[in-house]
Amino acid sequence: MEEFHPHNDEMIFNADEAHNIVKECIEGVLGKADYNHNKVNQWTAAIVEQSLTHLVKLGKTYKYIVTCAVMQRSGAGLHTASSCFWDTTTDGTCTVRWENRTMNCIVNVFAVAIIL
Amino acid sequence: MDDFQSGEETSFVVDEVSNIIKEAIETAIGGNAYQHSRVNQWTTSVVEQTLSQLTKLGKPFKYIVTCVIMQKNGAGLHTASSCFWDNSSDGNCTVRWENKTMYCIVSAFGLAI
Repeated sequence: MEEFHPHNDEMIFNADEAHNIVKECIEGVLGKADYNHNKVNQWTAAIVEQSLTHLVKLGKTYKYIVTCAVMQRSGAGLHTASSCFWDTTTDGTCTVRWENRTMNCIVNVFAVAIIL
Repeated sequence: MDDFQSGEETSFVVDEVSNIIKEAIETAIGGNAYQHSRVNQWTTSVVEQTLSQLTKLGKPFKYIVTCVIMQKNGAGLHTASSCFWDNSSDGNCTVRWENKTMYCIVSAFGLAI
């Protein structure tokens, strides 16, 4: 009976896992808050740092980039795009969009495999 | 006699990347006013042009380019990013651009292979 062992060269980015991690971090930081100009800097920093810490704890051989944008809801249009030049078999990305009454939050996670 | 050869530069050169990004922005949205129907094309063309110029540099890097375009109407926008990588070889560059009707923020991340 063959046991299934994911080898290093078969590493795939688990987007669902990352999605859940990030969602929890956002909820934890922004949860019930209203947009507050004085606190937003702390919030974005806390979201990216906590998300990154949890992702690293997964212990996979990946480099990570986490970006977060928080915008006040006032009717303005916001468009984002990203393009990546990497190894599509091992690398991946995950985007989480969250909102409440007064603000929108968009977090992107990019994971790039480390070639050993 | 020591042979000091740095060979091909394999570190992320911020100035070079910053120029590439600025050109891509100017070309794509240069003299335009914010237009809801065209913004999608603009963000796409900025990231694609930036990425293709970066890959033409021929360095052993993986790249990630992100672009945000926001209409100017008084709303507050805050962004942050955090990276877990190799400080000696990897790097990033962010360019902020604006005109009378919109803001454009482009970030390029380079990770050494």
